[in-house]
Amino acid sequence: MFKRWILDFAYYLDTSKSYQRRKRFFYNILENDKNKYKKYVDLFMILLIFISVGVLIREVKHHVNDELMFFSNYVISFIFFIEYMLRLWVSSSVSEIIVARAEHDTFLLRDVNLAKAFKEVIKVKLQYIFSVKAIIDLLAIMPFFHELRLLRIFILFRVFKLLRYAKSVQTLSSVLATKKFEFLTLSIFASVVIFVSSVLIYVMEGNNPDSPVNTLFEAVYWSIVTIATVGYGDIVPVTQEGRFVAIVVIMAGIAVLAFTTSLFVSAFTEKLDEIKEIKTIEGISKLKKFYLICGYENVSREVSRKLSAHANEIIIIDEDPLRVERAKKDGYRALNYNPGNVESYDKLNINFDKQVKAVLCLRENDVENVYAALTIRSFNKNIFIMSLLINDSNRKKLEFAGINTVVYPQELVGLITKELIGKPVAFEVIHELRSENSDVQIDELGITERIVENFPTVGDLENSRFRVVLLGVYKTANDRFYFNPLDDTLLEVGDYLLVVGYQVFIKEFEKYLHTRAIND
Amino acid sequence: MTKTTALIFGHNKYSHEIVRNVKDKYSNIRLFSLDENNKTENLPELEYFDLSDKWTEIQKSVDIKNSMAFCVLEDTAENIFLTISLRSNFKDLTIIAISSNKESANKLLMAGANKVIPLTETTSDIITNMLEKPISHKVLHDILYEESNLKIAQVQIGEESEFKDEQLTSIDWTRYNGIVVLSVMHEDMKSEFIYSSKAKHHIIKPGDVLIVVGFEKDIQNFENKIRSRRYVNWSHWSW
Repeated sequence: MFKRWILDFAYYLDTSKSYQRRKRFFYNILENDKNKYKKYVDLFMILLIFISVGVLIREVKHHVNDELMFFSNYVISFIFFIEYMLRLWVSSSVSEIIVARAEHDTFLLRDVNLAKAFKEVIKVKLQYIFSVKAIIDLLAIMPFFHELRLLRIFILFRVFKLLRYAKSVQTLSSVLATKKFEFLTLSIFASVVIFVSSVLIYVMEGNNPDSPVNTLFEAVYWSIVTIATVGYGDIVPVTQEGRFVAIVVIMAGIAVLAFTTSLFVSAFTEKLDEIKEIKTIEGISKLKKFYLICGYENVSREVSRKLSAHANEIIIIDEDPLRVERAKKDGYRALNYNPGNVESYDKLNINFDKQVKAVLCLRENDVENVYAALTIRSFNKNIFIMSLLINDSNRKKLEFAGINTVVYPQELVGLITKELIGKPVAFEVIHELRSENSDVQIDELGITERIVENFPTVGDLENSRFRVVLLGVYKTANDRFYFNPLDDTLLEVGDYLLVVGYQVFIKEFEKYLHTRAIND
Repeated sequence: MTKTTALIFGHNKYSHEIVRNVKDKYSNIRLFSLDENNKTENLPELEYFDLSDKWTEIQKSVDIKNSMAFCVLEDTAENIFLTISLRSNFKDLTIIAISSNKESANKLLMAGANKVIPLTETTSDIITNMLEKPISHKVLHDILYEESNLKIAQVQIGEESEFKDEQLTSIDWTRYNGIVVLSVMHEDMKSEFIYSSKAKHHIIKPGDVLIVVGFEKDIQNFENKIRSRRYVNWSHWSW
């Protein structure tokens, strides 16, 4: 009966949407770095840590008022206790383990063995409890029992809790963790040197009444100070033998230091690219909108430059390390990922629908562009994909791969030559309007509610006063461009004015459209 | 004045596109290849040349002043050599060349090309415009490549034009004539945006060329009004 009740309850929790939603919420704000609220929780915790450390420092020589002491000892400890329990809760799912055991046993036509399930639960929870982070969390709650004077020192464990919230410290520890074996060797070597030199100096100096080395502890202290090349000078060997030991220890100390430094340097050098990559990905996940460019060759380089010049964020991925290096040198966020691999986009960890404005497949190779486009289409049907087409015979394949717009440079050459023949200057004019290097530009000005209120018709715009040519109005409602509209043409929210003029005058005109109400 | 002969150097995808687009505009299209093994399909008969050619045959058979050369060899060095070779032999020939990047574009201009199409820049301009200014891209594309009724034209002011001796910016071109004047080109052969400080005080004279956008019918009416005709001049290329 009791067993049945536990199983039902476990199934209930496992399938309860509200329970799972709450648990996910707490998991996100405590453990998920991508959650936007986590940083506020972290900041709050950091603030509590600094308050309690501040109280500890003040308390040494001054009286701290009772409210603050109460806050530091009880309130903060209670908050940390709640945090500890929540972390313990979200670290694993008890109901899931019980349900999995029940399903397993039922499938094998056995009686559900709850003991095994609970054993598993205890194992998993203990695994968390004995993790370094959880131990630090637990020790940070200890000052709750502040009447025990010794336990007050545990307040300092709250400082260690900072490690949980500081990402760079986590990166540092992950980097150092890669050199575990080397650090172990180093610590064994250093321990042996300290042990041998401490014993030697104690044996040589311990019985000499003039020597400051009187105890084994002083000998160990002297060894460590000497090996670390600090050399306070409060304890120095006075006998010939003792000084000989000192020479050996100093030389060994240099070796230990050199070994330590080189270990740190090599660990960071080896991991530098990885750290940079992690930082880049973190940066990307924070971007609101960007263009994703697959491949970095000539056209891609120019497109990146032009899009960046228009204050757009761009992310470049390419499978070739040399091209990625070139992109990085040009100042772009670039990653050495294969655009034709779904894993690349998983690693990027981006929300395609919300963050990516468009995907540009700009490899000068149709096969690679099709491959990249198909890969992206396999997990996102809506994103706008534009691609270069190098060989016209592949056009259908690109379209079939789900590419929305194909740009075929050869076709452009044909069209350009056709125009150049008939009206070279007119062509130049249009070409210049499109070119970013020209002073005279064509621009699109969106019509907002405010503009409609102040400028209901085209005749009210007074664009010529700003030396701006109004080419026409694009009506979003019926997807039509009205060239040279009549003065009484009504403007509507969502329309676009197509204007030609010097950049500076267009800006003035745009400003005028938006601020006229204020000026009037 | 319209050119009558197109000399296309290079047998590749670029030359195919050029032939496809210009075949209706030239009475004579001649396609040259460096490789004698090349064959053509649906294209004019292929002629062969080598870079050390003295072009005597072309000189005899073609009216150079009325011809336009397209240098579209894929090898940049060869394309530059071809351009310099043509320019050294034919001072009056209009040469259009393609280049892969800005650096070779400069070299081609130095070699004597009248107009260079920098492929990378042009393609990236198109891509950027498609993404950043989709509406203006579409409108300009339609105007330029005649995919809508809107046209862009170069119109020369005639001797008896009613606008003669008037200040350029004092006329409301847009409202009055149904066309939009984008720029004016005067005797120094430079075109100026209609609202540039130079064009602002410009007094209209016979011979000035206006770059106008409008519907074909409106442009025709405008041409009749200013007693003018469509105008093509090859001696200048800059804005």
